Amino acid sequence: MNVLIGKFKEVLFAVLPTTVIVLVLHFTLTPLDAPMLVRFLVGAVLIVLGLSVFLFGVDLGISPIGHLMGGTLTKSNKLWVVVAGGLILGFFISIAEPDLHILAGQVDFVTSGVISKLSIVAVVSVGIAVMLALGLVRIVYNIPLYKILTVLYAIVFALGVFTSPEFLAISLDASGATTGAMTVPFILALALGVTALKKDPKALEKDSFGLVAIVSAGAIISVMLMSILSGVDRDFAGPASEVAYAASIFAPFGQKLPTVVEEVFVALIPIIAAFLILQYVSFRLPGRSVRKILTGLVYTFTGLVLFLVGVNAGFMDVGTFVGYRLASLDNKALVVGLGFLIGLVTILAEPAVYVLTTQIENVTSGYVRRKIVLLALSLGVGIAVALSMLRIIVPGIQLWHYVLPGYVLAITMTYFAPKLFVGMAFDSGGVASGPMTATFVLAFAQGVAQAIEGANVVVDGFGVIAMVAMTPLITLQILGLIFKAKSGKEGVAADGQ
Amino acid sequence: MDNSPDQKQFELMCVVVDFGSGSKVMKIAREHGVTGGTICLGLGTIRSWLLELLAITEVRKEIVLMVAEKVVAYNTLEQLNKDLKFHKRGHGIAFSTSVKSFIGAVDGSSSASEESRGEENPMHSVVFVVVDKGKGEEVIDAARKAGARGGTVINARGSGIHEATTLFSMAIEPEKEIVMVIAKNELIEGIVTSVREKLRIDEPGNGIMFVQDINKTYGLY
Repeated sequence: MNVLIGKFKEVLFAVLPTTVIVLVLHFTLTPLDAPMLVRFLVGAVLIVLGLSVFLFGVDLGISPIGHLMGGTLTKSNKLWVVVAGGLILGFFISIAEPDLHILAGQVDFVTSGVISKLSIVAVVSVGIAVMLALGLVRIVYNIPLYKILTVLYAIVFALGVFTSPEFLAISLDASGATTGAMTVPFILALALGVTALKKDPKALEKDSFGLVAIVSAGAIISVMLMSILSGVDRDFAGPASEVAYAASIFAPFGQKLPTVVEEVFVALIPIIAAFLILQYVSFRLPGRSVRKILTGLVYTFTGLVLFLVGVNAGFMDVGTFVGYRLASLDNKALVVGLGFLIGLVTILAEPAVYVLTTQIENVTSGYVRRKIVLLALSLGVGIAVALSMLRIIVPGIQLWHYVLPGYVLAITMTYFAPKLFVGMAFDSGGVASGPMTATFVLAFAQGVAQAIEGANVVVDGFGVIAMVAMTPLITLQILGLIFKAKSGKEGVAADGQ
Repeated sequence: MDNSPDQKQFELMCVVVDFGSGSKVMKIAREHGVTGGTICLGLGTIRSWLLELLAITEVRKEIVLMVAEKVVAYNTLEQLNKDLKFHKRGHGIAFSTSVKSFIGAVDGSSSASEESRGEENPMHSVVFVVVDKGKGEEVIDAARKAGARGGTVINARGSGIHEATTLFSMAIEPEKEIVMVIAKNELIEGIVTSVREKLRIDEPGNGIMFVQDINKTYGLY
């Protein structure tokens, strides 16, 4: 029983801060309507339950599958198997990713159909497939991560010059949008499955992370290429749609459920299919292990559905509403400050963050503790949201004013920071921009944009995820440098008491 | 402490606690004169019909290994037992075995001692089984059938003479699992036989196992 209660407690403390902040705001600055408040609280309960179940599911189902698959592909000792495996897995996982479909829908919409939804889904999936294969090849041939990242981001910069500011935001958002709550744990486990074979223990730390980062870069590059090749560079105007808040308490949960169930199920299909095929062809696990993994997948499914329904039906409206009300107040500094706070706490409830921090603890045998990584991540995301608020409020600031120096700094740091932290940092970019950010934080930003004159809800809304995906790169590498500075053996001579 | 160096006897303490408590164990041990220790991560089995129904059968553990002089070690274990409440179910376990020699202590002395058996009247033994990754669970199953209560699985790498290869540009050492099962002496024979038959340890390439005497135990039932 201890295990269940322990996990539940852990998740509760992750979701509680967000809930407390919204409640405090409710009683002070931005009183919510009664139905909205109740829905928010119901949403919070669903999130706690869902996240707990989901995490057990990842431990039992997704991670073992990824780990086995990484090992099996590598043990073939044939380049074409690794490349083909990476391509197939990458393509189907990406095409089944609900976040990608949402992003593609938005792009279709803002370009008035010039770039169709189908084409963007297809192109991004190919991009991700290529990058997943590249990422796996990198691990088996011991190519240093920072070199690959330098090349990839150099391509991103080069393409970025030719991309319009609006599309720049969309493409950078794509990095976060395509690495969803289920994909990230799977890709993390896949990388670990390959590196766990290595003889050199240092390689485990160096190469276990970074695959998510390479895959995210693939999404950015594909969307940028699409925008340039299709010649969409004109300014597009988003609709000034009024957001209607649902008055009923439970109806939104019922409305969201079928879509979420379908999305999560579709996202799971490629992982299940790949597992069953490989189980038949190569794993041949005993029945008990198979049952355990399948149980894990059921947990993953149930947990993610509960979580997403809670976030979508309970948190999204509140985010927009609070953002709108806060920005309507005279004190604009408050928006920036609260943006920081909201960024700081919402990241704690992001599912993939748990998976990443646990994996970091496992790989480093507990040397790099979860709490310290969470702290760096939280600060990073807080800063990202605060800067985004500033950008929405002050018309002169463009996204690239942040992103260009940010990425230049992040890439430069890869040459100095410990290699373990480079991989962790770049993976955390994809991890931080999960469902919680994509709904609650994004909704908050859009609410703020609605209230600010001259801000465009759609255009200013894009770019928030890009920021959330960028700042952890810097904060985590700073953490790495701190670790490096302090890791000298202190007092070897003086330690003899 | 009155013993001259060549008569010093050393004990290896092994403490298995929930993930995150390892550092606390080290801290307490340091306060009682242990010079240092090593923490590794493992998975512990849990027994609960509810959790087994839910297919949750493992929980992350930390295993702390420390070597100290016998007097210090026993004193430390006693303190750990008091502070961490090993006598309560689920709070962790601790045991100690004799070590022939201990080199690398901070004071720089290295010494060896002849083992004098039996004075603690050991009741328990510990079985170590090293197998390919993924087979740890089978080992624990087999051990349980023979009466063991559970076990701890530690992730490891290693290769015997049968397996050392290179894949692509990576030097490979296959993943292994070290399974640690503690049981009463009268059960050990059965456990060893059961694991041996189930995993076919006697055939080359299927793993190794060994048994060690335990001097002191805490937290076992």
